[in-house]
Amino acid sequence: MTPGIIEVRNVCKSFTIPSVHRSTLREHALDLFRRRPGERLHVLDDVSFTVQRGETIGIMGRNGSGKSTLLKILAGIYLPDSGAVAMHAPSTAILELGVGWNPELDAIDNILLIGSVMGLSLRELREATDEILEFAELERFARLKVLHYSSGMASRLAYSIAFKAVREILILDEIFAVGDAGFRARCEERYRKLSAAGHTVVLVSHTTSIVTEFCDKAILLDQGRIVAEGHPRMVTDAYLELTGGTAEPSEFAVAR
Amino acid sequence: MSVQAIQRGVAPGRSIPLHTADVLWTLVRTDFKTRYHGTLGGFVWALLKPLAMFIVLFSVFSFVFVAEPSYRLYLVLGLFLYEFFTESTRTGVLALSSKAFLLRKAKFPSWIIVLTSLANALITLTIFTIVLLTVLAASGRAPSPLHVALYLFYLALFVVIVLGISLGASVLFLRYRDLNQVWDVIIQAGMFLAPVVYPLRVIPLRIHFYLYLWPPTPIIQFSRSVLIDGTIPTFRAHVMLIVMAATIFGLGLTIYRRFAPSAAEYL
Repeated sequence: MTPGIIEVRNVCKSFTIPSVHRSTLREHALDLFRRRPGERLHVLDDVSFTVQRGETIGIMGRNGSGKSTLLKILAGIYLPDSGAVAMHAPSTAILELGVGWNPELDAIDNILLIGSVMGLSLRELREATDEILEFAELERFARLKVLHYSSGMASRLAYSIAFKAVREILILDEIFAVGDAGFRARCEERYRKLSAAGHTVVLVSHTTSIVTEFCDKAILLDQGRIVAEGHPRMVTDAYLELTGGTAEPSEFAVAR
Repeated sequence: MSVQAIQRGVAPGRSIPLHTADVLWTLVRTDFKTRYHGTLGGFVWALLKPLAMFIVLFSVFSFVFVAEPSYRLYLVLGLFLYEFFTESTRTGVLALSSKAFLLRKAKFPSWIIVLTSLANALITLTIFTIVLLTVLAASGRAPSPLHVALYLFYLALFVVIVLGISLGASVLFLRYRDLNQVWDVIIQAGMFLAPVVYPLRVIPLRIHFYLYLWPPTPIIQFSRSVLIDGTIPTFRAHVMLIVMAATIFGLGLTIYRRFAPSAAEYL
């Protein structure tokens, strides 16, 4: 097997759960002489997989199964406790839609701010601003503070910027879960073009149809472990079995 | 295509080639904009605030301290330098937490955020410096270019010290959420540790050394010395100031480097 473009080896990640978490100096000072047992929550437990160049991999799992933590580790925002992640190409991550704005700034300034942090130059961003606004259908609201945006508008803006900033690897949380049908269709179209152009994609979704339609393979996480891996159809079946559901919960799970 | 090293417990390295100057500029500009709501009016306010404060303080002190004309200059200079220290470190402590929305979004070096958090205080300090030099020149006590250069050198060291404190405190604040309260108390008390409102000569000489360990003290005293008295502190004093700035910056940077990689988990 050829080495993949993304290699995840034995990644573990745990967090201290809040009930025993001390977050102020005062608490630390008071607890100096009291030993409290630390309770660790193992969010990811020995996760390994490989993604080949140009592949789309879907990650499924119930809420709290470690999907988002895994994406954040892939994006480099979190460090794994142990194990290793190798990305053999630059990546762009679209995480936590709807957050990530300075609400006091208008759309254009937010585009410049987020876009530059995502690695675009100001020149590229100025040239792309109109296109980004058009894709998000927000031309009329370009000078409106994001504070006054609806959550759908804010998410559309997030997608539009990220689609402009795409690098070779795309990391997507709950793709195609925002906007109305028209916007979703355009996202899917843009995604297909990117995939056809050879981009490697990691996507998280609760929607079985998205995984079976777009992914070359999929993995299913449960309590931080990979419990199923392989053909998308097989993994979505396992997911439905795990959730005990037959319907697609995505329509309800979207609002966040 | 970039290949990142595989190490134990290590996430992918920086996966984005960043246009650092563009990010810096955008952060400074948007911070400024949020702060003063709008561009032109905002800039006028940013100019007016230190100017108005200077005029008020200067007039009041001229009225109060008629007998000692250089004392009011001492006081104004001390107050402004200490105000810079207060404002910049207070925003510095909160820098990372106030930009959480960006840090959760993409991986990029967060020191850029700490650096830009100083911008507003630096603008105020620059305006104050220009006003002060103008007033000095107008009253016929213009300092020589060497003295001005030394003053600017002290300001540069001050910025290095503030940056060191901000780097260390901004990552620690994410774990210790009352650090800003603690820091507020320290700078309040420090206002009297530094000879801002009183002249240093009223303090016994043997204590001076300890007062000089509080960073604003040497900066304020040296600046007063070159700008108002026209005397230059000793070479040894300069070396000690540089060592102090380097130590604080080094310490802050070490703390930052130790805690910054896991900062996102505490946001």
